[in-house]
Amino acid sequence: MNGAVRIAVEDATKRYSAGAVTVFEGLDLAVRDRETVCILGPSGCGKTTLLRCMHGLIGLDAGRIAIDGSPVGGPRRNVAMVFQHFGLMPWKRVRENVGYGLELAGVSRPTVDERVRRYTAMVGLTGFERAYPYQLSGGMQQRVGLARALAMEPDILLMDEPFGSLDAQTREILQDELLRIYQAQPRTMVFITHSIEEAIALGDRIVVLSARPARVREIMAVDIPRPRTVASVIAHARFVELRDHCWRLLRERAVA
Amino acid sequence: MSIREAQATTASAVVTRRRVGRPRLSDWAVRLGSIAVVLALWEFAGPRLNPLILRPPSAIFRAFFELVGTGELQEALGQSLREFTIGMAIALVLGIALGVASGRNRFIYNAIDPIVGALYSTPSVALVPLISVAFGRAAMGDEPRITTVALFAIFPILINTQQGVRNVDQGLLEVARAFSSSERRLWTDVILPSAVPFVLAGVRLAIGRGLIGMIVAEFLIGLVGLGYLIIAYENVFRIDRMFVPVIVVSAMGILLMGFVQWIEGRVAPWLRREQ
Repeated sequence: MNGAVRIAVEDATKRYSAGAVTVFEGLDLAVRDRETVCILGPSGCGKTTLLRCMHGLIGLDAGRIAIDGSPVGGPRRNVAMVFQHFGLMPWKRVRENVGYGLELAGVSRPTVDERVRRYTAMVGLTGFERAYPYQLSGGMQQRVGLARALAMEPDILLMDEPFGSLDAQTREILQDELLRIYQAQPRTMVFITHSIEEAIALGDRIVVLSARPARVREIMAVDIPRPRTVASVIAHARFVELRDHCWRLLRERAVA
Repeated sequence: MSIREAQATTASAVVTRRRVGRPRLSDWAVRLGSIAVVLALWEFAGPRLNPLILRPPSAIFRAFFELVGTGELQEALGQSLREFTIGMAIALVLGIALGVASGRNRFIYNAIDPIVGALYSTPSVALVPLISVAFGRAAMGDEPRITTVALFAIFPILINTQQGVRNVDQGLLEVARAFSSSERRLWTDVILPSAVPFVLAGVRLAIGRGLIGMIVAEFLIGLVGLGYLIIAYENVFRIDRMFVPVIVVSAMGILLMGFVQWIEGRVAPWLRREQ
């Protein structure tokens, strides 16, 4: 993998509770252009906190995070986030939720409408534009969350365990959707997950974090060619080796 | 499962979910039957127990038309509605404004919370004589009664609005920040919509309390309106006529509750899932 570094995390440290709890410490990480980096670690190890720092929703206690060379001070319009809890406004219909970020960005009405149509179609929700989130299943709600982020046509996608709360079957469908969308429009993506299979299926590289305080345990390349589907990745000869290797890394952490 | 199948399954799930919430024909039969049994008992057994006090529904029905015929009922209802509407409007405006302000601003919250807590814990009825005195014994206008209605109605609206604003989903606030929302859009997109169900629940409570305030004020301050009719016909033991304004007040309550529910369906259609 080569290409310009889009996100640079340097010696990043984050503490909670007035410094009593160290979430992560001395993290170094670079995400290159149009690369999918999966950050793998058990729940509660600070992956989500790291992602929120990358988007400037919270600040670091030491070190720095830069996007395209400039330090992150707050959310940027060319970076979009997808949330584990979906984060849809219950009082907005699908099309209003999808167009939410665009409207805030002051994009003109016709452009909002056009992009809402395009990205609603891309996530397979055409015909549901007028539905409220409560009328949709969990998987469909997260499709809306994904469309809302994609509609911004961001350079960088930050995915915070987006499929973590979905059932296994729906999760696999959406993983395939995401691979398909990536194939059509490759973007830089940071994908948080605690699922080894998900990390291997989606990632170009996997960053395995250690227990709290989280440090980078290992960064490995996923040498399985694209275009991928979840099924083709699982069937690939490298899959089992990569999975076992990740397992060992995570288990060592658990025992230690 | 393909996307299309998933869509179809969910679409039909949406339709059935709506149907499940709706009362069935048998539900209505039980409800109407229950009312019929109570009315029949009242009509036929009541007068046998105490012919003077337990006047049968048919007599109350006749009394209703007598009072409409003399114009007494319309006049009293007009008077009561005026007090109630103005008092309720004041409670809504002040309650929502103070609720939003105190829900968002720590200083205002700390400033009004002890006072609101004290006044809400005091039985409002105990304050009605104070209102009467405050406006002066000579006051002939509706002001003290309007004030009473507002006092009875304001607290559930204020407290619910405050809670609604304070309980806004932190996750959604973060979403708004992640998409670089302005402070103004944060209010219109997230905070106010999420407070709507709380406010409306407060309004429903306020209607009941406001009607109590209205009747109590009419009992204790000046003797006018529907409250006056109740007292007047009680004094002359025309219990059939006394019941007419009671039933009118109860009908007001039912209609206003229905009205709020209708409003809720209009301004907060996403809440239909709870019905």
